[in-house]
Amino acid sequence: MPEIDLSLQVNGRKVTRRADPGQRLLDFLRDELNLTGTKEGCGAGECGTCSVFVDGKLVKSCLMPAAKADGAVIETVEGLAKPGTLEVIQRAFHKTGASQCGYCIPGMVMAATSVLREAPEASLDEIKERMGGNICRCTGYSKIIEAVELARDVVSGKATPAALEEDGPGESYIGTNVRRLDAPSKVTGRLKYAGDMVMPDMLHMAVLRSPHAHAEILSIDTSEAEAMEGVACVITSEDVPGTDGFGVFVHDQPIMARGKVRHVGEAVAAVAAETETLARLAARKIKVEYRELPGLFSPEDALKDGAPVIHDYAPDNLVKHIPIRKGDVDKGFAEADLIIEDEFSTQQVEHAYLEPEAGLAYVDADDVVTVISPSQNITHHRHMLSEIIAKPINKVRFIMSPVGGGFGGKEDMIYQGMLALAAMKTFRPVRLVFTREESIIASAKRHPSKVRYRMGLKSDGRITAIKFEMLSDGGAYGMSSEGVMRKAAILSCGPYEVDNIQVDTRAVYTNNTPSGAFRTFGGMQAQFATESMVDIAAERLGLDPFEIRRRNMMRAGSLTHTQQRLDSASIDRVLEAAERASNWEAGAVGMRGPERGDLNGPGTRAPCTLGARFERPAGGKEKVA
Amino acid sequence: MMQRKMRGRGVAASWYGIARTATVDRAGAWAELDDGGTAKVVTGVTEIGEGILTVLAQIAAEETGVRPEDVTIGDNDTARSPEAAHAGATRQTYMIGNSVALACREAREKLFTEIAAHWDVEAATLVAFDGVLRAEGTNLAMSMAEAVDICKKRGVVPVGSGHFTSHGTGLDPVDGSGRPWQAYVFGTQVAEVEVDTVTGEVQVLGIWAAHDIGRVINPRGVEGQIEGGVVQGLGQALMEDYQTVNGHTTTHGFAKYILPTSLDVPEITSVLVEDPDPLSPLGAKGIGEPALVPTAPAIMNAIHDAIGVRIKSLPASPEKVLAALAEEEARQDGAVAAE
Repeated sequence: MPEIDLSLQVNGRKVTRRADPGQRLLDFLRDELNLTGTKEGCGAGECGTCSVFVDGKLVKSCLMPAAKADGAVIETVEGLAKPGTLEVIQRAFHKTGASQCGYCIPGMVMAATSVLREAPEASLDEIKERMGGNICRCTGYSKIIEAVELARDVVSGKATPAALEEDGPGESYIGTNVRRLDAPSKVTGRLKYAGDMVMPDMLHMAVLRSPHAHAEILSIDTSEAEAMEGVACVITSEDVPGTDGFGVFVHDQPIMARGKVRHVGEAVAAVAAETETLARLAARKIKVEYRELPGLFSPEDALKDGAPVIHDYAPDNLVKHIPIRKGDVDKGFAEADLIIEDEFSTQQVEHAYLEPEAGLAYVDADDVVTVISPSQNITHHRHMLSEIIAKPINKVRFIMSPVGGGFGGKEDMIYQGMLALAAMKTFRPVRLVFTREESIIASAKRHPSKVRYRMGLKSDGRITAIKFEMLSDGGAYGMSSEGVMRKAAILSCGPYEVDNIQVDTRAVYTNNTPSGAFRTFGGMQAQFATESMVDIAAERLGLDPFEIRRRNMMRAGSLTHTQQRLDSASIDRVLEAAERASNWEAGAVGMRGPERGDLNGPGTRAPCTLGARFERPAGGKEKVA
Repeated sequence: MMQRKMRGRGVAASWYGIARTATVDRAGAWAELDDGGTAKVVTGVTEIGEGILTVLAQIAAEETGVRPEDVTIGDNDTARSPEAAHAGATRQTYMIGNSVALACREAREKLFTEIAAHWDVEAATLVAFDGVLRAEGTNLAMSMAEAVDICKKRGVVPVGSGHFTSHGTGLDPVDGSGRPWQAYVFGTQVAEVEVDTVTGEVQVLGIWAAHDIGRVINPRGVEGQIEGGVVQGLGQALMEDYQTVNGHTTTHGFAKYILPTSLDVPEITSVLVEDPDPLSPLGAKGIGEPALVPTAPAIMNAIHDAIGVRIKSLPASPEKVLAALAEEEARQDGAVAAE
């Protein structure tokens, strides 16, 4: 398509550029004008990180062609306040601690600005409704909403500007609400994440990914892609000079598929080219011949005799089994007045950090291979990459860029190796930015789990024995499965002292999207089962749920499930604190019905109802269609 | 007789270990009291959103006597900063916070030794806070900027280094016995829900979250971690579901993979319980991961309280809630028919 002339006003300045008419407004702002405060989170108008004002209207710039903005007045997060200053809404975000990783925050600040401009007296519900198109994965929204309410009150005069000031330190900086030091750079969009960084002479990478869940690679023909003008290099596993393999516990994953693919979305080859578009076009020209293999899609199937083998080193498809034994479970169950058995399952969960994976690699003047990325573990990545590229460890350097949300999902070195190889092959800086779809198919998830549970109790609620068996789908690669199974096993039976325990946790290989580290590392899946069982037991025994927990809780001197003697256990205090704060009405577990004093009290919100919740201005018409 | 909208409450307790599991965990840091009464801290850490940079600045300020905004924290760079290992495992405040505290104490000691000699007082009488250094029991006081200047003129650059170790042990391969962590935290959450028995939709209206985090460094930061953890737990409890068919995902993006938004968020009341860690200089423990653990079971237990059915397979989607209600109704009809 021929380029067109675009003339528009951006943050109060006239801008004229020749532009690709297919370019999105988001790319125009980021790539042409270097206004990287406007972020890409999903590219599909779902997350709101790319929100800007176009002629005063809040717009998701990933959905708008730049050509459509010709003649328009654009306002980005960089244009809200004069450089070096903060607007009231930005100061309110700073005050309340509304920014955490910060990646969604420019979009949130824009949405909040829209609230203050269009509905300066918005109620709490209207604020929530108007902010509902912006996703945040870190904050739980509470402090963001608090910030919008604070800014509303300052703007309307209900609160004084002093409310935006920092609290003093008192006699100590420990225990004080010092405002986040990184907040000003986040609320203004100034902070550069890896995908915002550019270097002179930089190449762009695109990755060819497997369309098959399990297939042998018969051949890879890169010749056509390599011959394309503007392509600097194509890399495959053939380019790995050292010992290929990475993983948090077992190094079972090659930088790019080697001989076979084990899950849909696995990297097979990568291209570095002058532009991102060109790199993507070239990646499509790589020809890969596959021979499909039978796949494994459930952990139960993976354990069957004769099941396809996914990794040669693990003929039984077992990633890890962690056993825990304490006391004598047979004796414990024999002593029980009540034995209950049940099964629980949890689903696979996406981290959904708003910042998709991104990185930039280069070889410096001292021949040090350097990778900048939002890695959660640069120390271990450095060790692994040094083996993979066969260089001494001091010739490998990792720099951790600001992480736009991690939650464990950025502990796996799933792309940094490709960047390093391309930089070594071209001696030019190379950048890779995942699309949301790539991030979803290529990155690890929370382990889905199935738990078979048997619990024995005395009639007074004391647990006499637990038998706990967990089976988890580890997916195609080991990643953190071993550690997740270990933590799940250690924490399995909850904060209770139980004399007789038999715990087994297992993770197995399948051809599903790999599972890996995710906030709680197996602790959540295991304790969901335990806390459900304790509630079921309380129901059967006619006990209050707090009471049954107190009768079993760990105390100073208790022996944990792994037979560690505890010097202190605060479970008594947190139970009491939650009971008191929630104004818990004691009673046996059951369907207790609505005739109670504890429901719908302080600490609850009103339920959402269907229909617009925006208030009608007096005499005016409702603003929302 | 069930009304259309039913409310209920549930509770779940939890526990968690701090820092890396079943191994020796370690972290290191360098500190320097710098010109102008500022401080420089270098350690292998970058913000992943939890607020660690602010926490470390508070710790450095407390330990050296400068103000948090006068603390500069170096980038996490394997070629430029000491190892502090990874950003995960609820280990940042515990491992790196304590390393920074120890490094700052060493730097402060060097400064105090010089200033004590300069003033001719005992070093033990010196106190520095909020940019001012004083000798207790005297009128002697100077700014930290002056103190660093005098220290350097006496030929001493006040630098320090520190490392912190958490002594976990591996698990026995047969019976799993071992000491996986030296510090534990506990938590309890209460959830209040409303279930629409016609649509199967569950709304979480309130969460009361009581968590032991050891000594609290930044209360708002802790609340932010709890609120974020609760909402991730709520997402897993009610809506999030990554699905594949023969290994191909059917939830490619946020249109199909449903995440909680501002409209799904309950009112969250955090209660911070402080049971300080006796084995570390700061006494702080951690909150990042533990905040999420009890949320989903508390919500499932609340659903049971509201409508009498147990959802044992996450998420408790409207379809599953309706199916469970229908099953319960059929069971009760069967029981009546049998009488």
